[in-house]
Amino acid sequence: MSVGGDILQVSDLNVAYGEAKVLFDVALAVRPGEIVACVGRNGAGKTTLLRSIVGFLKPTSGEIVCDTVSLVGRPPYAIAGMGVKYVPQDKKVFSDLTVRENLELGSYASKDYDWSRVIGFFPKLAQLMDRKAGFLSGGERQMLMIGRAILGNPKLLLVDEPTEGLAPSIVTQLRDVFRQLSARTALVIVEQNLPLVCAIADRVYALNEGRIVAELAGPDQIRPEVCEQYL
Amino acid sequence: MIDPHLIPSGIVFGLSLGSIFFLMTVGLSLCFGMMRVISLDQLLYYTLGGYLAYSISLAAGSLWVGVLGGVAVGGLAGLAVERLIFARIYERQVTFSMITSFGILIAGVGVIKSIWGLVPRPVSVPIAAQIDILGADVPVYRLVVVAIAALVYVGIWLFLHRTIIGKAIRAGIEDVEHVEGLGINVARLFTLTFIIAGALSGLAGALNAPLIMVDPQMGLDVMAFAFMVVIIGGLGSLKGTLISSLLVGQIVSLGSLIYAPLAQMAPFAVMLLILLVRPTGLFGSPLLKR
Amino acid sequence: MTRIIDALTWWWGLLLVFGVLALGCILLPLPFVIEIVIFSIYAIGCNFLLGRVGFISFGQPAYLAVGAYATAFYLFYAGTNPYVGVLIGIAAGLAASLAIGPLFVRLRSDYFALVNLALAVIIYYLMQKVLAGVTHGDNGLWFLTQIDSTPVLDLTRPSQFLVFALLVAFAVWALYKYLDDSIFGACCLAAKVNEDKLRFLGYSNFRIRLAAFVIANTTTALAGALYAVYLGFVSPEIASPSRAADPIVVTILGGVGTLYGPIVGAIAYTGMKDLISKLVGNWELLIGALVVFIMLAGETGILGTAEGLAKRALRLVRGGGRSEIKTMRGSKV
Repeated sequence: MSVGGDILQVSDLNVAYGEAKVLFDVALAVRPGEIVACVGRNGAGKTTLLRSIVGFLKPTSGEIVCDTVSLVGRPPYAIAGMGVKYVPQDKKVFSDLTVRENLELGSYASKDYDWSRVIGFFPKLAQLMDRKAGFLSGGERQMLMIGRAILGNPKLLLVDEPTEGLAPSIVTQLRDVFRQLSARTALVIVEQNLPLVCAIADRVYALNEGRIVAELAGPDQIRPEVCEQYL
Repeated sequence: MIDPHLIPSGIVFGLSLGSIFFLMTVGLSLCFGMMRVISLDQLLYYTLGGYLAYSISLAAGSLWVGVLGGVAVGGLAGLAVERLIFARIYERQVTFSMITSFGILIAGVGVIKSIWGLVPRPVSVPIAAQIDILGADVPVYRLVVVAIAALVYVGIWLFLHRTIIGKAIRAGIEDVEHVEGLGINVARLFTLTFIIAGALSGLAGALNAPLIMVDPQMGLDVMAFAFMVVIIGGLGSLKGTLISSLLVGQIVSLGSLIYAPLAQMAPFAVMLLILLVRPTGLFGSPLLKR
Repeated sequence: MTRIIDALTWWWGLLLVFGVLALGCILLPLPFVIEIVIFSIYAIGCNFLLGRVGFISFGQPAYLAVGAYATAFYLFYAGTNPYVGVLIGIAAGLAASLAIGPLFVRLRSDYFALVNLALAVIIYYLMQKVLAGVTHGDNGLWFLTQIDSTPVLDLTRPSQFLVFALLVAFAVWALYKYLDDSIFGACCLAAKVNEDKLRFLGYSNFRIRLAAFVIANTTTALAGALYAVYLGFVSPEIASPSRAADPIVVTILGGVGTLYGPIVGAIAYTGMKDLISKLVGNWELLIGALVVFIMLAGETGILGTAEGLAKRALRLVRGGGRSEIKTMRGSKV
């Protein structure tokens, strides 16, 4: 059961790939309007954590609750339908479809055909509407992925390494977008970019070899040097 | 070498052969593209289509009603098999689906044998007329088959490019996880793809019925050709399937004008050549690990 | 002394299985047992490819035909010694798989399966039509009367042929068991599960797969050669693509990747075909349904399920204890 109106509550989560255990007794919580960051080295299990929350992986044990509803065992499209959206780290969009068509699919799924918010966050997309998504740059793709995902006003957005490989100007743009988004959508951001994380996160979880080793809150703790310690 | 009189009819023969190949393999290709399964049971729906055409045309007096029946039964069979069997095996590796679908094919052929018996059945051609093209006699029915296949291709293209579900399927062929992540019910999308595949395979069988005798082995007989077509065209590509179907059709047809026995084997040589250069066929989709 | 015990431990399984098979001759009709033995050899190549290397081949009839026709050509046109005939069959299989292997083995597993089937079709047409001059097409090559009676074991007599076949099978199984237990066997499994890691260790995936391909298909050619000598007759039917499923079905029935699975599968398949044809007449439906059922239930086949049950029973008897780490055998196809 969720405590005090948490958007997301993960408790005692254990996940394994076949016989290989990857996550051990992971627990975290996200409150409405929060930006929660998850940091850790490569292979720590951050992506596994996100994928488990949205249903692409079935945990061996543990609970994942979103707004009093349990997510465990539901298919990913149902979880997305409940307002929990996932932006993977692979920077993949539907390359054979145009930007417009990519967004159309997002609208079809969420029944939200008002793109004004998306264009508001990413004005560049308006100019790219009829371009095949395969021809977009890395930054443009990331914008499209996030724009697609926020259609339907999700309660929770899980973003996996959004700034990886992107130019600093775009990183700044994303940083501002995340800040504005968090008013209506709680965010869980997995990142290796510690300065960015520390600039916007309300709380930071550090993940090491499948375990949460630290939960940082407040401006004194949320600093790159402090985060580094736990990695 | 070749009697020039025979070339126009050879080309038409090749086109009609290619059309049947296309209808038969587009289902295989779509199922692979979307679900990463190899659905050998499509050959069963092809056989079913042929037999439905036979029985219904006998009863109703018209092949075209039989064709509709073949399409309907193909689609229904696809639906049943997808829900009952394939839905359970999507996460497995591709070879798994090959074996399972082959089992379904064999079992289905057994059922067909018990219902219709072993003896090959002839199906009467609805249009016996021939027209003269460039001095050669060409059966009109074959031209009709080509026309139908062309219509089907256009129809599928429009579906995939102009409807939202079609776009979802194209997106799914690229990356199903992303489609699911948006909130689209991919389970239903899979079922729909399977129904389309089964219906098209049934259509292929029904249309081909007057051109060959329907017998329980007919699916297995064409299996090798179906494989060659999908390998050359590449699994998962609509365009690739069309091109390679027509190519293989022409190779077999015009080849048999030159030297019949080799014509059956020529597609194999072409396939090997293509595989040397492009190991996934001309337009094949990569085998993404989920 | 321990060396002798070690050796005995290694051999005991083989001796047991083949002992039982040999005894089976007393109870079962001779042709049935011979069919099972040769069929098992046919199937073990397929089983090895599928279970150990992860390649499924719908084209095993191609290699069966290569071995059978090579032996047939020798016995029909050239000589009369059946032992030489079998050796020629093996050599032909070796040559063919060495020639084709480098191309086929590079392909992805699904294309590999399809391509092998296409090969079977080609060989079928070759033997049936294109080379009908030498192969006599559908009439086939008949050479039973041309086979010499050989000293020690007269292969023209079924009972002695069976002894020969059993000895050959025993040798084949000993080879595969040795491979299983060797580094090569481990490499095959590793290649099936994770190519990249194997490459990082310094092994060549290509060479491992090629070696496995050659071994498996040469074994299949050997089965073809045996069929040729036993029947004294070869026709294109042996490469018929509609029989392409046989080795795969036998593999599934017996248990993918198990050493004795092919034997169990061959017995089950031949038995069912015989029995059910007489009773019901529609054994295809049953076989197909059985394959689907086995795949859905866990694709470990008869032997695998028996193994699993036996293990569970043993654990109950011994009491408690953690389950061991699953061997590669348990991993999915």
